[in-house]
Amino acid sequence: MNLAATPLSWNSCLSALRLDRWMMGELAAADSENVGTHVSACAACSAAVAGMRGVREEVRALPLPAALGRPAPRRRIPPAALAGVGLALAASLFLVLRTPPAAERPKGSGLGLTMYVQHGGEVRRAEPGEHVSPGDAVRFAVSTPTPAFVAVLSLDPAGKASVYFPQASRAAQVPAGAEVPLPLGTRLDGTTGQERLLGIFCASAVELEPIREALERGHDASSLPADCQGLRWSFVKR
Amino acid sequence: MILDPPAIASLYRSHGHVVLRRARTLLGSEADAREALQEIFTALVRNPDAVRSAGSIVGWLYQATTHHCLNTLRKARTGARVLELHVRPGLAESGGPRGEAAAEVRRLLALLPEDVAAAVVYHHLDGMTHAEVAELLGCSRRQVGYLLERAQGLWDRAEQTA
Repeated sequence: MNLAATPLSWNSCLSALRLDRWMMGELAAADSENVGTHVSACAACSAAVAGMRGVREEVRALPLPAALGRPAPRRRIPPAALAGVGLALAASLFLVLRTPPAAERPKGSGLGLTMYVQHGGEVRRAEPGEHVSPGDAVRFAVSTPTPAFVAVLSLDPAGKASVYFPQASRAAQVPAGAEVPLPLGTRLDGTTGQERLLGIFCASAVELEPIREALERGHDASSLPADCQGLRWSFVKR
Repeated sequence: MILDPPAIASLYRSHGHVVLRRARTLLGSEADAREALQEIFTALVRNPDAVRSAGSIVGWLYQATTHHCLNTLRKARTGARVLELHVRPGLAESGGPRGEAAAEVRRLLALLPEDVAAAVVYHHLDGMTHAEVAELLGCSRRQVGYLLERAQGLWDRAEQTA
């Protein structure tokens, strides 16, 4: 039997690895565009991607393995507390430039960026501007009314910008939902002072390095691609 | 970056399909494929450093799935040898000639050395180029060519002796 022609052999022109990396936003911008163009024109690759998406939906419907437990219940905020939170949000979390004209977007963007902090053995939902400690672990969740390509970048007190999420060169796709947890968390380093975060929500898997560089130069808002919206957040490490 | 159980649960939801799809192909059994999915992510809870240091999450999942499934195929082969006196030949085969040929591929994969079998899986079952296989195996493209040539030779020999 020829190994290239077994019943298990791959039949699409692009490899499964390349298609998976494309779907998960791991390819560089130009490469991703090339793959997207090819897939839309190639019946075999298009069928392979459809199959991959089908299995993805299957896995999302499966129960989690016992070791991973059930996701932590979302904390309900008493209505009375919302007014105070609203003021804090107005001060620290706001939509930045490159939003569509008001007439083109529904009332309220529906976008949200939430941060959870683990300090010692305790996990809490952080409010914008909150004090955290070096060594704390932080994790983000996003809210988006439609599937979006998302990234979270940071500018630390020393002026160094980095990408917290994803661990890839391009924004990663996140399904629509409220407080969808992002897969990867971050442990805070020892640099103290105010740290600024920029959560971006895009229609495509944008390249993150230009945005990171612009953030470091202090031009975060103007650097966002046309199909992106951004949310700012800040916390103080001390 | 931290990978605590909630983060790994999220990774399971977003990337688990990469494991399940390939495990189905490699193992040919829905129950075994789901077990592979569970075991790979459960192992990640015990050793999150494994993926934290990887350059690509998708690439790491390919490696972990291939390793897990080849081990499972080898264990099944050993188990089949132990039980061969009690199992009718061909009992596990179903799906007509195509199903039998697929089962034959899995049986032969279990016979190959790990690096040779992994090269076969990546190149022929995942359709990867030699460069992509080399990246996942951490070797040169020339070495990939050698592994694939060796695989075909071993394959031919195994078929002749079968």
